[in-house]
Amino acid sequence: MSALDELRRLRHGGPARKRDNKAAFWFLAPWFLGLAVITVGPVLASFGLGFTKYNLIQPPRFIGLDNFARILTDERLHNALRVTLTYVLVSVPLQLAFALGVAMLLDRGMRGLAFYRSAFYLPSLLGSSVAIAVLWTQIFGADGLVNRVLALFGVQGKGWISDPDTALSTLIVLNVWTFGAPMIIFLAGLRQIPAMYYEAAAIDGVGRWSRFRHITFPLLSPIVFFNLVLQIIHAFQSFTQAFVVSGGTGGPSDSTMFYTLYLYQQGFSRFDMGYASALAWFLLLIIAAFTFVNFWAAKYWVFYDD
Amino acid sequence: MPIRTKSRATRAVLLLLTATLLVACSGGAGAGQELSKDPVTLRFTWWGADDRHKRTQQVIEQFQRKHPNITVRGEFKEWNGYWDSLATTMAANDSPDIIQMDELYLSSYAERGALLDLNEAGKHLSTEGFDAKALATGAIQGKQYGLPIGLSAYSFVVNTDMLAQHGVPLPDDTKWTWADLRAAGEQVSKATGGKAWGVQSWGFNDGGGLTIWARQAGAALFDDKGNVVIPPKVLTGYWAYLLDMARTGIAPPPPVTVEKASAGLPQSATATRTAAFGAWWNTQLTALSAASGAKLKLLRLPGEAGLKAPAAYYKPSMFWSVSARSKHPAEAAAFVNFLANDEEAAKVLLTERGVPANQRIRAVITDKLTETDRAAAEYLDKLPVSDPPRITPNGASTLDAILKRHTENVLFGRATPEQTATAFITELQSEVDAAR
Repeated sequence: MSALDELRRLRHGGPARKRDNKAAFWFLAPWFLGLAVITVGPVLASFGLGFTKYNLIQPPRFIGLDNFARILTDERLHNALRVTLTYVLVSVPLQLAFALGVAMLLDRGMRGLAFYRSAFYLPSLLGSSVAIAVLWTQIFGADGLVNRVLALFGVQGKGWISDPDTALSTLIVLNVWTFGAPMIIFLAGLRQIPAMYYEAAAIDGVGRWSRFRHITFPLLSPIVFFNLVLQIIHAFQSFTQAFVVSGGTGGPSDSTMFYTLYLYQQGFSRFDMGYASALAWFLLLIIAAFTFVNFWAAKYWVFYDD
Repeated sequence: MPIRTKSRATRAVLLLLTATLLVACSGGAGAGQELSKDPVTLRFTWWGADDRHKRTQQVIEQFQRKHPNITVRGEFKEWNGYWDSLATTMAANDSPDIIQMDELYLSSYAERGALLDLNEAGKHLSTEGFDAKALATGAIQGKQYGLPIGLSAYSFVVNTDMLAQHGVPLPDDTKWTWADLRAAGEQVSKATGGKAWGVQSWGFNDGGGLTIWARQAGAALFDDKGNVVIPPKVLTGYWAYLLDMARTGIAPPPPVTVEKASAGLPQSATATRTAAFGAWWNTQLTALSAASGAKLKLLRLPGEAGLKAPAAYYKPSMFWSVSARSKHPAEAAAFVNFLANDEEAAKVLLTERGVPANQRIRAVITDKLTETDRAAAEYLDKLPVSDPPRITPNGASTLDAILKRHTENVLFGRATPEQTATAFITELQSEVDAAR
C-alpha cells in the first residue's frame, strides 16, 4: 500500500477508526484543558493588558495605545533590541555551522560514535538551565578557567562577563556550545542523502568542498532551513542565560539586556504589567516578521528533492 | 470492617468540611479586632540566609505554643527571588499574611494599597518600646505600613590588619575627609603592588551611600513630594570621585568591581581581603568578619566633620508588614507583636535582623551579643545622626538598579559624570512620575 492510500484510509476510516478517535480525544482532553487555561487564556489576557496600565494590585486602567507609543521612544528598549538582534544574528549562524560540521564528522562510522553523539548533545539539554549559566560565570570570571588558560601563555585576562565590551560574546559562545539539538536533526538529514551521489562524485574525482557544495548542502537545505527558523525563534526568546549571568540586571551597562529580560523587569520590578504585555506582543510581531522573511528567502536557496 | 472504614472516611470528610466552613466564617465576619478561637493559619514570608531561617522557625514554634489554635507557615527565599514572588502572589490575591518588607519597596506596596495600616490593629500590637523617629520610618501620611525591626547606619569597614601590614596609620574617623580616604587608599594600593587595593568601589549596592553624599552637600535625593531634587553638580562630584579612584588604581578596575558586586558579600573585596576600606551597613560587620577572618573595624563616613548637621542617619534594616488582604489581621498583628515585643523571641533572634529598633528589647539582649555584634551596636549608639531622609517614593523601587547601571556607564567610560548626572535624574524622575 502506498503512503497515499494509507492517508486515505486514515481520513475515511470505518467505525472502529472513529471510536479510536473519540478515545484519543478523551485522552487528550486534559492537555487541551491545560492549553486553554494555562496558555491561550493568559495569551488573550496579555493582549488586553497591553492597552492598560496595570501595577499588579490595583485593577487595570485602560490607556489605549500609550504602551505601544512608548515602545517607539523607549531608548533602553531600543538598546535591548540591538543586543538581542546582535545575539540572534551572530550566534544562530555560528551555532548551525558548528552543528553541521560536527554532524558531518559524526555521520561517518567511527568508534564510540554513540558516546560522542550523546556527549555533544548533552549541553543542549542543559544549555538554558540555571546550572550552566552559573558555570559560565565561573568559566569567564576574573579568576575563571579562561583566564587561567590564558595565564599559561602569559596573557593577562579580564572579567569577561563583567566588562560591557565582552559580556554579550560570552553568552553567544554559550549558545553556540548548545549546538546539540540542531546537530541531531542534521545527523538524521545526512542519513537521508543517498550514498550513490557521493559514489558518482568520487568516480568523477570531485573534491571534498565541491561534494559539500553540490551534493550535501543542496540536499540538506530543507533541514538547514528548518533548523534556522527554529533556532532564530529560540534565540529571540533567550532569557535564563542572561538572567543568571548578569544576576537579573542585564548589566554591566545593559550590555546583556535581552528583550525578554527587559520585558520581565518591566513587569516584575517596575510593576508595569501593561507595558510588559505590550512588549510581549511586539516581540511576537518581530519574530513573525523574521519568520516571514525566512520563508520568503527560502525560495532562493532551499531545494526540495521530490 | 468495610463499613467502619467507610464511616470513618465519611466522618473525616464531614470534619474537613466543617473546618473549612469555620475558617471561611472566621475570614468573613470575624476578621476584625478579636482573636479567633478557631484554628487559623497564617503565612509568613521573609528573605535571608540559613541562620535567619533557623532562628525564625524557632520563634514561630514559641508563638504556636502560646497560641495553640494558630499555625504559622513560613515561606522564605533569597533577596532576588523574594521580590519576584511577592509581586506575583500579590497580583494573584494570594499574598502571605505577614511580610518582611524593605525600605525600597515599602512605599510602592503601601501606595498600591497592598499593606495594612498597623494602627488599625493596635489592640494586639504594641509599639511602646519604639522611638517615634524609628516608627516614622515605616509610616506614610500617618499610616503605619511597616514596623521597623532593626536599625543600621552606613559606615566604612576598614581592615586594620592590612593597614598595619603596610604601615598605613588608621585615620581618625571623627575628623577625616574624602581626600583623607583617597590618600590612605592610595598608600595601600601602592604598598601592595597591585595585589590588593585601597578602597572597594561603591555605588553598586544601594542608594544609601548616594543619599549621604547628597546630605553632606546640604541636598537630598528626594523632596517631601517624592520628586528627585539632587543637584546635578552633586551627582557629578559623586561619580567623578569614583572614576578618579578607579583610574588611579586606588579602587579595582571596573570589571573586577562589577564582578565582586554581583557575587555578594562573601566574594566582596572586604571579605576576600583585597581592599582595605569598603562602604557597608554597620550590621554587616559580623558577616564580614567571619568571611574575611581579618580584624575589621567600623569607621564613620568621611566628610561628616564640620557639617551643620550630620548626614548620617538610622536606616531601618527591614520592616514587618501585614497584607491588606489578610483574612486574619488580628492574628497577624498578634504575631508581629510577638516578633517585636516578646523577650523570649528576642533572645533567639538577637541582632540577626539588625540591632533591635525596640529599645526595651535592645536592653534585654545586650549582654548576649558577640564581640562584633556589640561593636555594631556601639557604633550605632555613638554615631551622631540627623532625621532619616524621605522614604523611597513609589516608583523608585528600582533605584539601586538604576544607580548601578549609571555607575557602570561612568566607570566603563560610556558617559562622562556630567552626562550621567543629567541622565540619572531624568530617568529616576520619570520612574516616579510613571507610578503616579
